[in-house]
Amino acid sequence: MLAFPAGMAYAKRYIKMYKYILESAGDINWMAIFALTTFFFIFIMAAVTALLSKPEMMNKMANMPLEDSYSFTAETADQDEK
Amino acid sequence: MAQVEKFSYDNAIVRNFAYATIVFGLVGFLVGLLAALQLVFPEANLGLAETTFGRIRPLHTNAAIFAFVGNGIYMGVYYSLQRLCKAPMYSKLLSNIHFWGWQAIILAAAITLPLGITSAKEYAELEWPIDIAIALVWIVFGINMFGTILKRREQHLYVAVWFYIATWITITVLHVGNNLEVPVSLWKSYPVFAGVQDALVQWWYGHNAVAFFLTTPYLGLMYYFLPKAANRPVYSYKLSIIHFWALIFIYIWAGPHHLLYTSLPDWAQSLGTVFSIMLIAPSWGGMLNGLLTLRGAWDRVRQDPILKFMVVAVTAYGMATFEGPMLSIKSVNAISHFTDWTIGHVHIGTLGWNGFLTFGVLYWLLPRIFNTKLYSVKLANAHFWIGTLGILFYAIPLYFAGWTQSLMWKQFTPDGFLEYGNFLETVTQILPMYGLRAIGGALYIAGYLLCMYNLIQTVRSGKLQAYEPAEAPARPKAYVPHKGEHWHRWIERRPVQLLVGSTIAILIGGLVEIFPMVLIDENVPKIESVKPYTPLELAGRDLYIKEGCLGCHSQMVRPFRSETERYGEYSKSGEFIYDRPFLWGSKRTGPDLHRVGGKYSHSWHYNHMLDPTSMSPGSIMPPYPWMIDNDLKYDDIADKIRVLRLLGTPYPEGFEEKAAADLEQQAAEIAEGLRKDGIDDPNLEQKEIVALIAYLQRLGTDIKPKAQATN
Repeated sequence: MLAFPAGMAYAKRYIKMYKYILESAGDINWMAIFALTTFFFIFIMAAVTALLSKPEMMNKMANMPLEDSYSFTAETADQDEK
Repeated sequence: MAQVEKFSYDNAIVRNFAYATIVFGLVGFLVGLLAALQLVFPEANLGLAETTFGRIRPLHTNAAIFAFVGNGIYMGVYYSLQRLCKAPMYSKLLSNIHFWGWQAIILAAAITLPLGITSAKEYAELEWPIDIAIALVWIVFGINMFGTILKRREQHLYVAVWFYIATWITITVLHVGNNLEVPVSLWKSYPVFAGVQDALVQWWYGHNAVAFFLTTPYLGLMYYFLPKAANRPVYSYKLSIIHFWALIFIYIWAGPHHLLYTSLPDWAQSLGTVFSIMLIAPSWGGMLNGLLTLRGAWDRVRQDPILKFMVVAVTAYGMATFEGPMLSIKSVNAISHFTDWTIGHVHIGTLGWNGFLTFGVLYWLLPRIFNTKLYSVKLANAHFWIGTLGILFYAIPLYFAGWTQSLMWKQFTPDGFLEYGNFLETVTQILPMYGLRAIGGALYIAGYLLCMYNLIQTVRSGKLQAYEPAEAPARPKAYVPHKGEHWHRWIERRPVQLLVGSTIAILIGGLVEIFPMVLIDENVPKIESVKPYTPLELAGRDLYIKEGCLGCHSQMVRPFRSETERYGEYSKSGEFIYDRPFLWGSKRTGPDLHRVGGKYSHSWHYNHMLDPTSMSPGSIMPPYPWMIDNDLKYDDIADKIRVLRLLGTPYPEGFEEKAAADLEQQAAEIAEGLRKDGIDDPNLEQKEIVALIAYLQRLGTDIKPKAQATN
């Protein structure tokens, strides 16, 4: 069985196009530098936002797993065990 | 205040996934034990191709990752997502399709992998029809998950849900990217990428399968179930925000650390190393966040086996995520790579982090959905201690074995010769460690049997509350943001934007590493003398894949004197341009084979495959008598040639019509050589062994090999 020959031909043509674009860009180090910069940007944004968040909001979020509507808690389960 | 609405949580689907993870856990562990025993007693393969190490090793890894951990993920996600969203699952039908579809995929893997139907890519061995099924079932899971999130009653998304979203999108991208292949037949395909490019895509996938299947969803479970079990909120929610964004962004870059000192270009190796070391920060942030959640509750840890399991799980996560970056430092990797150190490392992660967290969640969750209490706390405690002992017996001997063997590989005499020129010496030296490892695995299973008994009795003592009533206020249609709120408050309310943000974060690393590699020719210098495989060699290569030879033999001579002395010239990226898939391997239980071509006679290979100990006394390689007996099937050779040419291998037009005749002629020549050496079988040229010999004799001969030591 031979699948997708026409699709492959199209794909090859597009790969050639992207290859040309990349090669035209010359030195590709900018991609790595761009990515590293993006990472630090995201990291700093997340850190600053987290650190400046209101404690009440953080407490509310942190308590979400403990506030589902189920009546069992680990404490009561422990007492049952004993 | 919005009106309170009544609804119910679907516990039946949670129960189903819990049962599946319990059953497949046992299967995965037992297959692993069988594989471990074969390294000490090769005859433990029962003399069958289907139960021999090369074929069951992928069965073990797939069962552990996708059946045991996979079902564990779904169990935890289906339980926690409903409660964090204060909404039932979006669709019961989709939940059931997801459950049964996933189990059908596991069944397909359990049948095809022992039959040798494999694409040879680690943790992605399943062939293309099953790959498509995985994609479809994964999409069903995604629709169900996002549907639930969109109709939630809770305004904000808890951090566990972010981890679930990041998991879903990343696994989607990885699965598609690493399984781009062109089918030859129903159960055979060739990957679009070849050689070094295929290796980079595979380990971009392989590493991130660990990151986004074994880690991020389990971090989500940790952020939900650890506070539940400890009955106190997570230590720092702020830290969890930083943990999430830093982790998902950095993880995706680290894949090339699996390919240090290989033919991968240096810049890609360096990127992998740098980001792997950076990974310590978010990983340990998450670990500390988990452990510090128990501040003030450590007295309960002493008594509560659930918390004990969770504490050891989080500690194992911390150990594995410290060790991983250390192993990514090139000088450490030069010693650890291809050895049992890596096996020990990954089992700290799977047995400790995934296994123990799953056990903790099972012990916590099943009594609750069955409205009962745990059958025996004492049995759970016994399971904990036996399991912990099992992990130690498993990992410590393998660390010792890894260092020992690697140092033996690298040891030179004062005269400059290899001290242990015979590879087998370095294997027999560590056999006692393999024995201890098998004992460790057996202990882990013994503990697990207690767990199963305990859980079965727990379930029998209760009654499933299939649909648990709940109530919560409806989510206001128009949310009024707080004055001066941060962007993160904004994105926490928007799952689609969170999905887009996560996608961008994980795509950047992948694109930067893979795109230039795939698209720019100079990264893979061509070597004039490297030619495509002949039809018989190609058939032999596919048999090599079928038998899982790459589970024990690498095909990558690294540029170290200790390796070039032992094997010959180091491997060049240009030598692999027709290798679909690449077969570099990740472990040397046996020697590297990249320069084995022409090193031994045809009859040496024939006798070695019939009985490895006849050529290498003391060898732990299993015999392959079926390759001597089985007729070579090559009715699809024309299709293979056609597909490979389509992918770029320069076979001449029309060669597919002559391929069968070419194959028969080369087979006759090899059979003739074997007969000259006294091997007397009238139908030699029709047997699988002839094709395998053709392939082995070709390996690494496109550029002139030179080796001094014996394998």
